[in-house]
Amino acid sequence: MIRVRGLHKHYKVHERPPGLAAALRSVFRRRYKTIAAVDGIDFDIADGERVGFLGPNGAGKTTTLKVLAGLLHPTSGEVSVDGHEPRRRQDAFLKRIMLVLGQKQQLLWDLPPSETFELNRAVYDVPRVQYKETLDELTQLLQLGELVGKPTRTLSLGERMKCELAAALIHRPKVLFLDEPTIGLDVSMQATVRDFVARYNERSGATLILTSHNMDDVARLCPRVIVIDRGKLVYDGTLAELVTRIRPDKRVVLRFSRSVDAADLAALGKVVRHDAGESVLQVSKEAVNAVVSRALAHLPVSDLTVENPPLEEVMSELFARSQARRVAEAAS
Amino acid sequence: MRYLNLLGSQLRASLLLAMQYRADFLLDGLVEVLWMATAIVPLFVVFQARPTVAGWRFGEALIVMGWFTFLQGVLEGAINPSLASVVEHIRKGTLDFVLIKPADAQFLVSTARFLPWRAINVGTAMVIFAWGFRLLGRAPARRDVAVAAVTTVVAVVVLYSLWILTVSAAFYVVRIDNLSFFFNAIFDAARWPISVFRGAVRFVFTFVVPLALMTTYPAQALLGTLPATTLLAAIAGAALAFTVARVVWNASIARYTSAGG
Amino acid sequence: MSLRNTARAFPTLLRVGFAEAVAYRAEMLVWVLATTMPLVMLALWSTVARDAPVGRYGQPQFVAYFLSTFIVRQLTGSWAFWEMNQDVKSGALGMRLLRPVHPLLAYAAESLAAMPMRVVVSLPLAAVALGVIGAGGVTHDPVLWVLWAVSLAGAWLLTLFIGLAVGCAAFFFESSLKVMDLWLVFFFVFSGYLLPVEILPGGLRAVVDALPFRFQIGLPVELMTGALGRGEALGMLARQWAWVAVSLGSTALMWRRGLRRFEAYGG
Repeated sequence: MIRVRGLHKHYKVHERPPGLAAALRSVFRRRYKTIAAVDGIDFDIADGERVGFLGPNGAGKTTTLKVLAGLLHPTSGEVSVDGHEPRRRQDAFLKRIMLVLGQKQQLLWDLPPSETFELNRAVYDVPRVQYKETLDELTQLLQLGELVGKPTRTLSLGERMKCELAAALIHRPKVLFLDEPTIGLDVSMQATVRDFVARYNERSGATLILTSHNMDDVARLCPRVIVIDRGKLVYDGTLAELVTRIRPDKRVVLRFSRSVDAADLAALGKVVRHDAGESVLQVSKEAVNAVVSRALAHLPVSDLTVENPPLEEVMSELFARSQARRVAEAAS
Repeated sequence: MRYLNLLGSQLRASLLLAMQYRADFLLDGLVEVLWMATAIVPLFVVFQARPTVAGWRFGEALIVMGWFTFLQGVLEGAINPSLASVVEHIRKGTLDFVLIKPADAQFLVSTARFLPWRAINVGTAMVIFAWGFRLLGRAPARRDVAVAAVTTVVAVVVLYSLWILTVSAAFYVVRIDNLSFFFNAIFDAARWPISVFRGAVRFVFTFVVPLALMTTYPAQALLGTLPATTLLAAIAGAALAFTVARVVWNASIARYTSAGG
Repeated sequence: MSLRNTARAFPTLLRVGFAEAVAYRAEMLVWVLATTMPLVMLALWSTVARDAPVGRYGQPQFVAYFLSTFIVRQLTGSWAFWEMNQDVKSGALGMRLLRPVHPLLAYAAESLAAMPMRVVVSLPLAAVALGVIGAGGVTHDPVLWVLWAVSLAGAWLLTLFIGLAVGCAAFFFESSLKVMDLWLVFFFVFSGYLLPVEILPGGLRAVVDALPFRFQIGLPVELMTGALGRGEALGMLARQWAWVAVSLGSTALMWRRGLRRFEAYGG
């Protein structure tokens, strides 16, 4: 479905030094430097897969996404999406894909969303019967109801996102690119969006590519993740494996029937949290069995669970490592 | 004092921004020269046919044009850029950020952005003044220059107040991004002495949109033909315009609800 | 981007564009107010012509000329450059590029769709204008009225294409609105918007004849007010449409080059 080989994307940027004097100098002489936003990436994505692009800000995720959608031309490399070369943006290609940007909207601001739906029907040349069917389905799944009749500007952010998704799916794209789709939404709306996107993938078999900083999005939607850092692909595989690789340790969550001394806990492993309700220990995978039996034997345990570390932490550790490497390189 | 500091830092930020856009600098200069030239073309055509129009000689009409050029610099360099940013704020609902700052909102939005390149207009205006007085064969009297300085303040205050009123309209209408276009279009009529207009148009340009206060009166002041009573009336008018603008602005802010919220 | 697909989508583009125009009727009114310049010029030139006519233009001729100018400007104006500038700056152009309809055609559709609203808004003024000028102020030749309609279409296309070409400047400059200003400068003087090009001094007349501006406003106005005979009118129309072709070509060129840049840097 998607095939990327040796993708490079370089930008020439104008250096803007701080300060008034420097700014004045830059009026007359400008300095440029080349930045490799994407620096040699290869991957394949099969039909119907759901893949998350992860990486710190400025890592090259969105650039890659835009190259795949045909908005940016690669500096070099080979990209094919659904048998098309995205950069040519042929109708046949455009009718098969859709890009949803959490921070930008395609809905017409001062008109009801129904007008945008109608516009997209015409633009994507969707047959009337199919349009009606799709719209009914979307209306039901997203519970659009009367939202579609109100001017977009009067909708809340969450309502707008639901309509945005509906507008994006009118032509039933086979490849859906989502860039930060849940940004700014409240928790229940995030869940709604995620469930809806997952269901769309299941029902239509569409391929899904997502970038997000929200790890709940990734955990719910993407069995496979591709981690991009400084333009390079640093990991491509299952999310579960990524987690064990970065943080091989487990968390033992304990609840006690009476209060326990912090010192007693520290004897078992690293204490992550210790308060009245519950205590969390961080222990290596190999030591889990021993720690659990010791805790059960020596402490008044009322409840015990073993968990993976939270995804947010895994990611921040991953990015912190790359940040540390960057600083080290800059210093040397 | 705090407001002076604020003004200073806003000016500095605008200056920094202006440096980034060198293409703008060249274009601004070019546009300005061409604007002036085109503004003078109709003047030429008119005075080719007649020695005086509505009691104004060519040299005298040039003085009005000079004031127009000067004020246009003020409008486009110090007033319109901020206007554009307010309209943008209202559209995006980000005016809240301005409103929660511990300083007067009117002051903040009025000083949000400057285009320092427009200072070119001041130079251009001086050239036009010099040309006009050369044609008239004399120099302005020192006293007249002093009076003209007063009328300059009046003119800028009136222009500014009109601008605040225009911006206030943006609170009431769904989307007006061509407000500055509208404002410029009206202002364009100020390049002619008020006496070329008759009847209702003249009334409007004297009392409703007081273009007369902005260019004709300063020109008359510089030429030494402005009656003292007119000067006093103009000062009073400017004070009134400023007060009205302030009241309307406050009322608009009170009514404001942020978009999409 | 196939034409067939665009052609099929065009009616819907127009309909939705019209709905947008209706939503922006307040803006439309501001636009009408912002383009009252001909009325100011009318006041000015009437004063000038009170004692003696300027060239062929006495007071009634000036009145007819500037009221016609006002109407023509209403019917040929376009915001395309504005929209495009916004889209390039905000990156919204990306979304337009991902639709299987050529963005330039979409802009054209939006501009055309605003037309009915413009007619509605300027109709009362046109009626008043006709009342003021009287039937004697406009041409009685039906052939000239047909040519007028053709010239109006040409003027609209020319304005649209130039606007889009200028909008393409947003790809290259931080603020393409400046370029628009530059174009407006020439437009105002040389199009016949501020004064009939006929009364310009000889040297400037030559400049006007070499530029496209007159065909944006002057030509339809001159046809309407009967300033041109049939033969002369046909010649002018031919030149107008030649300029339409030239402007279309340059817009396409600018678009292609700008887009290449957009695709290299992203929005």
